[in-house]
This record gives sequence, C-alpha cells and structure tokens, in this order.
Amino acid sequence: MIKIKNLHAEIDGTEILKGLDLEIGAGEVHAVMGPNGAGKSTLSYVLAGRDGYEVTEGSAELDGVNILDMDPDERAAAGLFLAFQYPVEIPGVQMTTFLKTALNAVRKARGEDELDAIGLLKLMKSKCKELGISDEMMKRAVNVGFSGGEKKRNEVLQMAMLEPKFAVLDETDSGLDIDALKVVADGVNALRSEGRSFLVITHYQRLLDYIKPDHVHVLAKGKIVKSGSADLALELEKNGYADIVGEAA
Amino acid sequence: MSAVTKFTARYKADNADLALSEWDSFNAEHTQVPDWVSALRKRGFDKVIQQGLPTTKLERFKYFNLPAYLKKNELIYAKADIVLDGFTEYVRVLPEALNDLSEELKSTIILSPVGEDKYGDMMLWDTANAYFNDGVILDVPADKSVDKPLNITITGHGNTATTTRNIIRIGDHSEVTIVEYHISSNVSWHNNVTQILLGKGARLKHYRIQENNKNSAYTGNTHVQIGQNAYYEAFTLTKGSALSRNQVHVELQGAGAECFVNGINMISGKQQGDTTITVEHQAPNCISKQNYRSVMDGQAVCTFQGKVHVHEIAQKTDGYQLSNTLLLSPTATMNTKPELEIYADDVKCSHGATAGNLDKEALFYLQSRGIPEAEARALLIKAFLEEVIEQITDEAVREQVELIAEKWLILRTGDNDGEGWL
Repeated sequence: MIKIKNLHAEIDGTEILKGLDLEIGAGEVHAVMGPNGAGKSTLSYVLAGRDGYEVTEGSAELDGVNILDMDPDERAAAGLFLAFQYPVEIPGVQMTTFLKTALNAVRKARGEDELDAIGLLKLMKSKCKELGISDEMMKRAVNVGFSGGEKKRNEVLQMAMLEPKFAVLDETDSGLDIDALKVVADGVNALRSEGRSFLVITHYQRLLDYIKPDHVHVLAKGKIVKSGSADLALELEKNGYADIVGEAA
Repeated sequence: MSAVTKFTARYKADNADLALSEWDSFNAEHTQVPDWVSALRKRGFDKVIQQGLPTTKLERFKYFNLPAYLKKNELIYAKADIVLDGFTEYVRVLPEALNDLSEELKSTIILSPVGEDKYGDMMLWDTANAYFNDGVILDVPADKSVDKPLNITITGHGNTATTTRNIIRIGDHSEVTIVEYHISSNVSWHNNVTQILLGKGARLKHYRIQENNKNSAYTGNTHVQIGQNAYYEAFTLTKGSALSRNQVHVELQGAGAECFVNGINMISGKQQGDTTITVEHQAPNCISKQNYRSVMDGQAVCTFQGKVHVHEIAQKTDGYQLSNTLLLSPTATMNTKPELEIYADDVKCSHGATAGNLDKEALFYLQSRGIPEAEARALLIKAFLEEVIEQITDEAVREQVELIAEKWLILRTGDNDGEGWL
C-alpha cells in the first residue's frame, strides 16, 4: 500500500535521507526509530510535502501513485495524514472553521458531498466525545492556549475526521506525560483498521508499549539499517542505538 | 486637474492651481450663503494660494503625493453627492443649514483648522474651506440614545473633485452611531473634513467604509474633541482609492475620556493608503487605543504614522498604539512611524509595529490538512484582520466589514488586480 523506494532528500544542499526503502501493507503499523539526527522528522516532512525539503531521487507511492509530485493538500486528499511533533498555533482561526474547511476540502477533492454546519458539528461532537476532548476546546483558535496533551489529542481528532489511508505520527510522545500518552495512544488505536496504515516515528520505545507495531525499523544516517518485529524496539531500549548504528557505519 | 493659467501669476506655491481649479466660478455660483461663509472660503483660498497643496517635503506627507495625482488626472469641481438614511432626526444638510447655525457651531467651523496648526501642513483643510458648501450637520441634544445608525453615503463621480464638511456634535450623555460609505466611480478626488464634538459622557461610534474606485483619490481629515467621560470609537476600512489618506486628530479634553481609533487597510496593485493619527491627552485618566492592521499585495504602499501626545496635566494616561502588517508580495511597502511624546510622569504608554509575511508553518499546517494553498492563505489573512475587526462593537457593522474582507480575499487570485494610477 505504501512503497517508499530509494528516497533521497536534502535541505539546503545537505543530504539527509540517503536511499530510504520502506514498505507498509494495508492495515499495518510500522515504527521507525532512530537516534537524534537520523532523519526521522525529515522523513515525515518529506512525505507531507513541506517547503524546503528537496527530493533528489526515489519515490513514495500511496496505492500506486507517487505522492512526491503533489502539493501538501493534494496528498491529504489522497489519504496521507501527518500528526505533527509540534502542532502549529494559528491565532484567529477557530477550531470549528478550521475543521470544516479542512474536511470539506478533502471531501470535495475525494468527490464526496461537502458537509453543512450541522453535519459537521454532529461529526465533531461525536469524535470529540470518543477522544475526551471538551466542546470548550473547539471554541478556541487552532492549538492556541492548548496544553501539550491537548495539542496531541487535537491531532488525533483531525485524523479521526479526515479518515486517512496512511497516517504518519511524528514523535507523538514528545512532551507528553504518561496519562496524556495513554489517551493519545487509545485514540490512535481506535483508528486502527484494515484499510489504514500507520508509520509511527519515535525516539523512545515507550510509545510502542501503547501503540503496538507490526514491524520496527531503525533509521540511521538517512537509511533503514535494520528491520524486525516489535521485539526490536525492546532490544533498542535495552542496548541503545550505538551497536546498530555502529554496524551500519 | 487642469491648470488654471489665469491664476498662475498670483501663486506662490506652484501646485495651488491643482487644488483651486474653477474656484472663481464655484465662488460666483454658490452665493446663497452668509457672509462668514464667504469670508471662510476666501480665507481658505488665500491660504492655499500662499501654501499650495501638501508636498512630500512635509514630514507628515512624506509618503503621500497628492499633487502628482492631480497633475496626472484632469478633474472638474462638482457638488458632492450625499445620501442620508437611517437615523436622520437631528441631521441638516449644507449649505442650507448655514443660514441659522448656532454661534457655537459657527465658531467651531470658523476656527478650523484647529489643533494641528503647529505642523504647518493643514492645506487640505484650507482647501476644504475654500470650497466650503456641501456636507451635513448632526447636532444631537443631551440625553438622547439612538439605536438606529445614521448612514452617510458619499459618491464621487468620474473626473470630479468634491469637498464635504461634516460637523457632528453629540450632547451630554447621548449615544449615536454613524456609518460613512465612500463610493466613487472612477478617477476623482474627494476631500472631506469632519469635526466632532462630544459632550460629557457622550458616546459616538464612528465607522467609515472606504470602497472608492481604485483610480480615485480620497483625503479624509477628522478632528475630534472628547469631553469628560465621553467615548469615541472609530473604525476605518480602507480598500479603495489609488491614493487615500485618513488623517485623524483626537483631543481628549475631559478627564476619563476614551477613544479607540482602529482600522484595517486591504490594498493591492499600485494603491497607496496613508493613516496619520494624532491623539492628544489633555486631561487625566483618559484612555486611547490605536490598532491598525494592513494587508498589502502587489506594489501597494501603506503608511502608518501614529502619535500619542501626553500633556503634563494628563496623569494616569493609558495610551496604546499598534500597527501590524502582512506583506503578501515582496514589492509591497509599509512605512511605519510610531511616536510617543510624554510630558506627564505617571502614565502607561506603549507602542508597537510589525511587518511580515504569512506564517509559513501555519500555511503548511493548514495545507497538510487538505486545505488548498489559496484557501489556506485567505484563512490566515482573515484571521490576521479579524483581531481588529472583532473590536467593532456594533454587530451589524462588524458583519459588514467581515463580508467585505472575505470578498476581497476571494477576489485575490493573483498578486496584482489594482490598476493603479502611476
């Protein structure tokens, strides 16, 4: 379902991803772990299409279509979702306006009917309830004044509403205490389904206790240097990255 | 405007002819006015002869070149086209109302221009005196509270130069809302002077929606005197005109007076918008807030010159001034000149100015949620403007302004839709 082939990407002429290969089947959850500077966040931004990241070689296919040629909004319509490590605060844009605009843009691009205000409100309320997000949060501007936990729950809410085929979670555990982490992980787990794949990018194994991956990969120096089952994460937790990264180098 | 050659020999300032086109025939045709009005016209005329129009050599007009516009465009004098509706009970129309004006209002007019004489740049006001004929007087007695706003629509017709003088007096503890709509249809110049007097505890909401044709010129000169515990709320939306100036001078004269002088500029192409505000704190315990937000595209040029002048007597002043700007194109220019002049020692005053581009992180975030770039940009620009629009306390006007802002954003497809005049 997701096929990343020989992906090379650079920022300001510095190559960060150096031939990354990754395949994720429908409904699978893969984790990418790696030390700081391995290129984890770059991978998520390259997939989502952020400015400033230049793909010099390779492809990333979602259901057989290379998404790397698309604008970020087209990728979202095609079914990609990136849960940000640092969700952006947008003063002056209300959550409800934001969700309605996003959802209808995606529905329109997918050839579905747009939702009216009432339909949206209903959907939003039911999703909020599932994720334990208060209505009051929906009256605020996007991420403004949200706690770290609220911001991450808000990412999961957006994912739940946009119903992507492929979700990338970029260091979703960063800045969360254990209770907040559980809430977010429960939200993600509730969204797991046969047709939806996940790429969980994380530095620590902790998150993977709550979001159980089918496969774990180690990213170092811009490449996947080792792949294995969920046990690989435990091994990394115990021994650190030094051995594996050292082997690769 | 056509050069009136027969005057040239008498002119000391070489651009006075641009301002005084057809003044002789104007003066000869509009004679049904009291002597003091004739005298005021002559005084204005003489002043303009001496000083000409303001040029960019004057500090406060550094970024505002009206003579260049008038040289380029041939304009003829025309009577102003003013339509009134809504609350019109205490409204009278000029010049008829000049015949039985109260002594107080008469002297208010005669003494003008007031307050800003020290700058030596009040030529637009003198020009308005020279053509003093059209306008409205709103004289509301004490203790009247009006729900319905007074709507004033001023239309400028093609190739004309018009002048309006409005005098607004709100009696003690009265409350009034005025909404001005400025709509011109083509190349034209509208020079407006508004004098406002607020009695004790009076409240005036004064909104101005300027959607003039993009080839026109507009100069607004507003002078406000605010009495004890009175409240003045101004909001100006500037969207039209090739060249526009919104000059406001507020005097907080009674203790506990408050003023809010806010606005937004949305301009593009080769449009130029100038906002020049002076707030004088002349009494203790007064509050003044200036809050402007500008969005500019193409080669547009905006100027914000805001000044808070706190007199020695004005202890416990709370003065605030902020100008934020979004530059949507690398060729747009913002000139900002915030000033504080403080002679009292127990005051709270602050000012700030920013100019920048759209937040790229926010734009990417919105796009990553499926919102196409143009829509995401519009959402962010609207949010930027909203922070000032939401301060409009009249709900109906706030909604109108929001609609105008949204429409402007939707129409913004490229980076250059203004024809401009240069």
